[in-house]
Amino acid sequence: MDILTSLIGGFAVAVTPLNLALAVFGCFAGTLIGALPGLGPVNGVAILIPVAFAMKLEPGSALIMLSCIYYGCMYGGRISSIMLNIPGDEPAIMTTLDGYPMARRGQAAKALGISAVASFTGATFATLGLTFFAPLLAKAAIHFGPADYFALYVMAFATIGGVTGVNPFKTLLAAMLGLLLASVGLDPGTGTARFTFGSFHLYDGFDPIVAIVGLFAVSEIIMYFESHATSGAGPAKLGRALPRLREVFEGFPAALRGSVIGFICGVLPGAGASLGAFVSYSTEKQISDKKGTFGTGDPRGIAAPEAGNNAASGGALIPMLTLGVPGSGTTAVMLALLVSLNIQPGPLLFERQPDIVWGLIAALYLANVVLLLLNVPMVGLFTRLLSLPQWLLMPVVVMVSFIGIYSISHSTFDLFVMIGFGLLGYALRKLEISLVPVVLGLLLGADMENNLRRALSISGGDFGILLQSPIALVIYGFTALMLMFSFGIAMRRRPDPLEG
Amino acid sequence: MIDRIVGAVVFMISVSAFWVARGYEAGFGDPLGPAVFPQMVAGGAAILSLGLMLRPDPDPKAQSRPAMTRQIATLAVLVGYVLLLEPLGFPLSTTLGTACLALLFGAGPAKAGVTGLAVGLSLFVIFDTVLGLPLPFAPALFG
Repeated sequence: MDILTSLIGGFAVAVTPLNLALAVFGCFAGTLIGALPGLGPVNGVAILIPVAFAMKLEPGSALIMLSCIYYGCMYGGRISSIMLNIPGDEPAIMTTLDGYPMARRGQAAKALGISAVASFTGATFATLGLTFFAPLLAKAAIHFGPADYFALYVMAFATIGGVTGVNPFKTLLAAMLGLLLASVGLDPGTGTARFTFGSFHLYDGFDPIVAIVGLFAVSEIIMYFESHATSGAGPAKLGRALPRLREVFEGFPAALRGSVIGFICGVLPGAGASLGAFVSYSTEKQISDKKGTFGTGDPRGIAAPEAGNNAASGGALIPMLTLGVPGSGTTAVMLALLVSLNIQPGPLLFERQPDIVWGLIAALYLANVVLLLLNVPMVGLFTRLLSLPQWLLMPVVVMVSFIGIYSISHSTFDLFVMIGFGLLGYALRKLEISLVPVVLGLLLGADMENNLRRALSISGGDFGILLQSPIALVIYGFTALMLMFSFGIAMRRRPDPLEG
Repeated sequence: MIDRIVGAVVFMISVSAFWVARGYEAGFGDPLGPAVFPQMVAGGAAILSLGLMLRPDPDPKAQSRPAMTRQIATLAVLVGYVLLLEPLGFPLSTTLGTACLALLFGAGPAKAGVTGLAVGLSLFVIFDTVLGLPLPFAPALFG
């Protein structure tokens, strides 16, 4: 009952005219950003954070708008997967497998309808999970001490590469790089200037937002000339604009299964939406693919991964909100947003700022309904926007990100730092080093150090305290297991010389 | 091969970061001090970079020459834009910057010019006038 009262309070926060308008705008912008190839959810949210500041929004309202963008991106990613065979963002890759063949057969409207309903199913399931599960986790997390938090951060960094089979040395190195970048500037504990090389500009350290926009958006611009040099076939025909209702629910059981799997993947550390979509698809394939129709345009092959990726992105909000430890790129960006709004996520957030948390959760329910309404009848508009020329889109994206960053401190130094991070991001991408751990390190470095400092001041400087709490030991145990697993996979993949 | 070079570079950076951090003095009564955490991280990075040197991935695909030219030109436009932003003011520099970028992304000169003008002016109006975010108008011309 407690939860229901809080949720009603949340709706009271979310249903002001301004917040509703922001939610609708966020859903629309998010769908568009998700649908346009090359502009994923991380870019979209990162670029629009400074814009939200420039609009001088209340923290709650800014959070509502950006979360709607986040959810909207997950809906939008499927549109270009189905129409162009190009995933609008990474989690939508699995949707191309059955979505594009369906569109080629003239069933584009049906595919878009099924995937919209599946997205709705997954996202609603995850939001329900968030509503009931997050307060429980927050209650449990109150018992975490500084040493346990330190362990939690270690786990976040060690498992972020997850079981993706990417060279684990690179992922871990990326995390260390982020942590090292985080220690640039004045040390909060002692006031010592670290790694500033005498530049006063660096005394405040690197602003995570500047770094994120540089790493993701600017590097995307530079990368564009390599990755998009050859454009594929034109978009498939949409056919009839509105699918039949009966057709749309064809994939519903698959969507339900995908939701459960995706949600679990989202909550686990180091997973996130891409893995959610992948596991949902492969599980559904094992359950339902009796006639070998998967990969040739089976509706269930769209419903499962779409529900999975939306459920995972909702589930990923749980560790971010309750523990302050994000598990994916986009939730890391959301954390950067919260920190810049002076909201410290963690178990205390639910007690101290319930209107923000519950306002956000209520806004997510609203976003889902708005997104379903936007995505079923108005899908034709979005598909038409897909043919927007890149020479128009890319410069606008660049300019909006530059204005946004400039508006934070009105200094061109930040813009140069952003370009610098863009180059770094480009180099890391070329080397197949994931950018997410860098961002996580940059974001969480200060907190990790503070928790270490707090733990040591309890023990009087004895590092043994880090291994005394049973909670911390369980976390370290899990971390070790995950590490062994990911190194194991990487070693086994080794002999394949064709792997790029 | 490139992974081994990167590993070596990261190794040198982390060792020097470790070395630099050694000079940070412990604050009075602080149980951790400013040096320990950066040293833990730098030490970890050094060990991992050794791992990267020992087990490198195959080299990534090199980009084509025209792609690289465009990349360098894009970077030059971005840096030039930042340098000119405050002297020329926002509307003018954004018009120029957008037009150059549109050219690089494959627009014709006429389209690029129109895009630049439209983006430069509309963004200025949206952010400066509507959202009330003060942007430099044209300091070089009007002081």
